[in-house]
Amino acid sequence: MTRLNLSLAALALLLATASLCWNPVGMLTLWQRSPEAARAILIELRLPRALLALAIGGSLGLTGAAMQGLLRNPLASPDVLGPSTGAALGAVIVAYTFGIAGTLAMALGGIGGALAALGLLLLLSRGGASTATLLLAGVAISALGGALTNLALSLAPSPYALYDVLFWLLGSLADRSLLHVVVALPPLLLGCALVLSGRRGLDALALGEDVAASLGVDVAALRLRIVIGTALAVGAGVAVAGSIGFIGLVVPHLVRPRVGGRPGAALVPSALAGAALLCAADLVVRLPVAGHDLKLGVVTALIGAPFFLWLIVRQREVIEP
Amino acid sequence: MMRALAAAALMWSGTAVAAPTRVVSLNLCTDELVLLLAAPGQLASVSFLGADGNETALAPRSRGLPTNNGRLDSVVALAPDLVFTGGSSDRYAHELAARLKLRVVDVPPPQSIADIRRNIASVAAALGRDATGAALIAQFDADLGSAPIATRSALLLGGGGTTAGADGVGAQLLRHAGLVQQDVPAGQVSLERLLAEPPQVIVQTQYRSSQTSLGQSWLQHPALKALPATTRTITVDGRPWTCMGPLVAPEIARLRAQLQ
Repeated sequence: MTRLNLSLAALALLLATASLCWNPVGMLTLWQRSPEAARAILIELRLPRALLALAIGGSLGLTGAAMQGLLRNPLASPDVLGPSTGAALGAVIVAYTFGIAGTLAMALGGIGGALAALGLLLLLSRGGASTATLLLAGVAISALGGALTNLALSLAPSPYALYDVLFWLLGSLADRSLLHVVVALPPLLLGCALVLSGRRGLDALALGEDVAASLGVDVAALRLRIVIGTALAVGAGVAVAGSIGFIGLVVPHLVRPRVGGRPGAALVPSALAGAALLCAADLVVRLPVAGHDLKLGVVTALIGAPFFLWLIVRQREVIEP
Repeated sequence: MMRALAAAALMWSGTAVAAPTRVVSLNLCTDELVLLLAAPGQLASVSFLGADGNETALAPRSRGLPTNNGRLDSVVALAPDLVFTGGSSDRYAHELAARLKLRVVDVPPPQSIADIRRNIASVAAALGRDATGAALIAQFDADLGSAPIATRSALLLGGGGTTAGADGVGAQLLRHAGLVQQDVPAGQVSLERLLAEPPQVIVQTQYRSSQTSLGQSWLQHPALKALPATTRTITVDGRPWTCMGPLVAPEIARLRAQLQ
């Protein structure tokens, strides 16, 4: 367990370092020619990029694992259940309906949107809705959030605003600044801490709500804590990096078999694996592909979706040999 | 010879068809052309972008005209006798126009400076305003001037790092100001590339610069402070660069004057 965490942490740090040292020959030449430009690239561009990849990837892995544990369903994740689309909608409304594209305003909009999406999900789950109902409700909320975002886009005041939002929605960590780190990290880390504090509760919940209650777990409080934590982490992340899918869905599946299937124990390794995966994806987008700029959300989906399908097929083989 | 034939054909079409009186433009770039070329009272509608001061300096001229949303079905009720589209590939619109027997003139986006002149001429001919078209082309050529030999590397830069292709019409126009557009893939430059390979001149467009957006905040990234002192930034209006039509020539003239 500790070894797993240590090796995942080492992998994430290695990939983050690779992100900082990208194109070392070019950087050394630039350093000799113009140290000021090289320093700005390292400190003002690559450092925030690597830090945000670690933090956002980590928060997606963590919240994905927590939601799968909370709903006891392997399909739960921020991008399936609505907080991601809610966050995107919140940030779009703040930026394009009220015209405040500041980092802090968008982060607050993102957090508000994610909270609204998850709050609606919780509201629907009152009175003991089944997990399947909750998942379906999440999918519907996610679709509604997506539709409202598209509505906001089609009502955009100009094609310029439309282009601006569309590119942001595709997900990217390029050309972010230390300001983004300063604004996004506090809510993101607070959210992650809230989710992590529910670790034991999630382990108990795996045995069923009644057993968890008999073990002294306040299931309603646990749910609220994970929902608020997820909204804070996902909202702040989406506002800075746009929509980045599949990490929250895929990573917990990779990790869980290695921690004995315990959802609480899967949280930390999922966070570390998520951080490593997003750092890796952010290295892939920098590869020159026919001169075109790949988008981070596109790459995570391109890696994540086939991998998820492979997981499903493999699980079927295990279940029905 | 070909040019003379084309001019003759345009003149013939100008005289053979009665000048249209209910002209509609569905695209910002054709809006600019008709607002420059049409006779008073000839226009029936321009697109909503043609009436937006953030998009074109000609917006005040469209005051009082009904605006359309750029789709053919939104102007059918105006019973136009001539419709301008800007490089439309909308099959539905073409079919609708054919069914309603509407006269549609498509003006594709220019790929070269010669295309800009050709577009002016074709819109003027369709409006029955050949003389105004010829005068506008003459003014365009005068503003544009000949391309100087001494050249500096440059980057046309908009919000979010959007830029022009190295061989497109934008780059051809910049050459007339003595600037050689850097070759940046995919029409977008990253801050990293901008710092690593700074051009001698950054031509920063003021397009919607008062509007808060992610693109505008990109232009204020703190890393840009590390650009070398040898890189000169010149701001331009920006709006004419969307269409790269006749309005871009005065921008080039101003740019050339500032660089001398």
